[in-house]
Amino acid sequence: MKNGKQKNWYLTIGIILTACMLIFIAVGFFWTPYVPSAMSSGDRNGRPSLRHLFGCDSFGRDIFSRTLEGAGSTLTIALAVLAVGAVCGLIIGALCGYYGGAADALIMRLCDAIAAFPSVLLAMVVLAVTGPGKYNVIGALGVLFIPSFARLVRGEFLKYRDRDFVQSARLTGVSDLRVIFVHILPNTWPVLLSGLTIGFNNAVLAEASMSYLGIGVSAQEPSLGYMLKDAQGYFFTLPWCTAFPAAVVILLILGVGLLGEGIRERMGVAS
Amino acid sequence: MSNAIVHIEHLNSWYGKGKERKQVLRDVSVELAPGEVLGIVGESGSGKTTLAKCVLGMVTDITGELAVNSQRPQMVFQDPYGSLNPAKTVGWILEEPLRAAGVKDREERRRRVAELLPLVGLEEEHLARKPAQLSGGQRQRVAIAAALIQGSKLIVLDEPVSALDVTLQAQILRLLAELKERLGLSYLFISHDLAVVYQLCDRVAVMTGGEIVEAGDVDEIYDHPKHPYTKKLLDASLALD
Repeated sequence: MKNGKQKNWYLTIGIILTACMLIFIAVGFFWTPYVPSAMSSGDRNGRPSLRHLFGCDSFGRDIFSRTLEGAGSTLTIALAVLAVGAVCGLIIGALCGYYGGAADALIMRLCDAIAAFPSVLLAMVVLAVTGPGKYNVIGALGVLFIPSFARLVRGEFLKYRDRDFVQSARLTGVSDLRVIFVHILPNTWPVLLSGLTIGFNNAVLAEASMSYLGIGVSAQEPSLGYMLKDAQGYFFTLPWCTAFPAAVVILLILGVGLLGEGIRERMGVAS
Repeated sequence: MSNAIVHIEHLNSWYGKGKERKQVLRDVSVELAPGEVLGIVGESGSGKTTLAKCVLGMVTDITGELAVNSQRPQMVFQDPYGSLNPAKTVGWILEEPLRAAGVKDREERRRRVAELLPLVGLEEEHLARKPAQLSGGQRQRVAIAAALIQGSKLIVLDEPVSALDVTLQAQILRLLAELKERLGLSYLFISHDLAVVYQLCDRVAVMTGGEIVEAGDVDEIYDHPKHPYTKKLLDASLALD
């Protein structure tokens, strides 16, 4: 890469696409052309036009405004899920990988058990108990995302814990925690980073599927999945109600997916 | 014994647990005087690395007598590609042992690193680089500097030159000999390469199957080997030359 011999198209396109989507979503946090929930009888079933870029739904609500807001809600939930899963997974995986032993075996079997179920299914069970809502979705999905990160991080720590540089750090009297988080952790960034992009995409999809199934966020803060659920009855008569929110989900996932692939490729070349 | 920096008597060591427990060192007795270089020679699996790990306190399943009269003995590893943290800069790697030793003042750490650099033949400009941007010889110099920076007087050298090509080997061996004189160090030098051992060591202990079969001054061992295994090792190395 450094010599510019081979262009890393994944990374370039991934960065551009992800940046565009993030800007789109960021705009939605501060400004929408119409109030997303405002109904207007004159614009019912309106086709996409200059006034309503993405058209209107059967209540006359502006799809563009709703998509902006929904994407923001989806992004927030996905990032929160990722934060819960990645931080807990990182700590568990690092300690398990570094110390090993009986506790490691036990925790990893537990993770296997959780990972054996599809996360959306398990989250449904959790939400059936706790009831729907943004924070319950984040909590349920976040916990279910822990095993995959824990396993990823554990694998990396297993790889590094017996390396000479770790032994020599121990010989000079560096504490275990410092060895784990200061000496080993920076070496796992490439793997962790691409794991984060995959996790982000899974979180977006999981949130969208759950909202689509009606067990996700509430109607007050519609996410993209919720909009798709809302629009499915008008799939043939008002296709724009489905097409635009779906396109945003697809482009977001595509962008982040390419970004992750690009990171992996770049790190692979460098090391 | 008295003033020996390492004193080992009737040392036995095992690894594994329960049924898998295997004895790796059998009744090993050896002594290292201050300022001396003791070579431990043997093929892989002879227990020489285990002996080194015992000295460093990394092996706990031992019986016998083991006294090390040096603060935090350090080790220089064989492979300079694995012994330096690839995610960190040389400056960070050299400062870290000082941080671990409780030197909180950044300027103080920098000053001590800067003092040591010329001794191991490195320049200030190397500090900002990552190990991947250094040659094998430079990396081994960094590893030596990292082992010395805490002021340890006892250094275990585990095949420190066998991963390097012959010209570099000579350079690093010369550097090690110089550092020993200047800083008053003692080395425990582990190697399978008798030619290298001959250049640097004062005394040699020949190990096989977890036992020391012969020990003595370098010249004596080379000129009048008594044990058949020593003869075999010498023959093998002469045949290569």
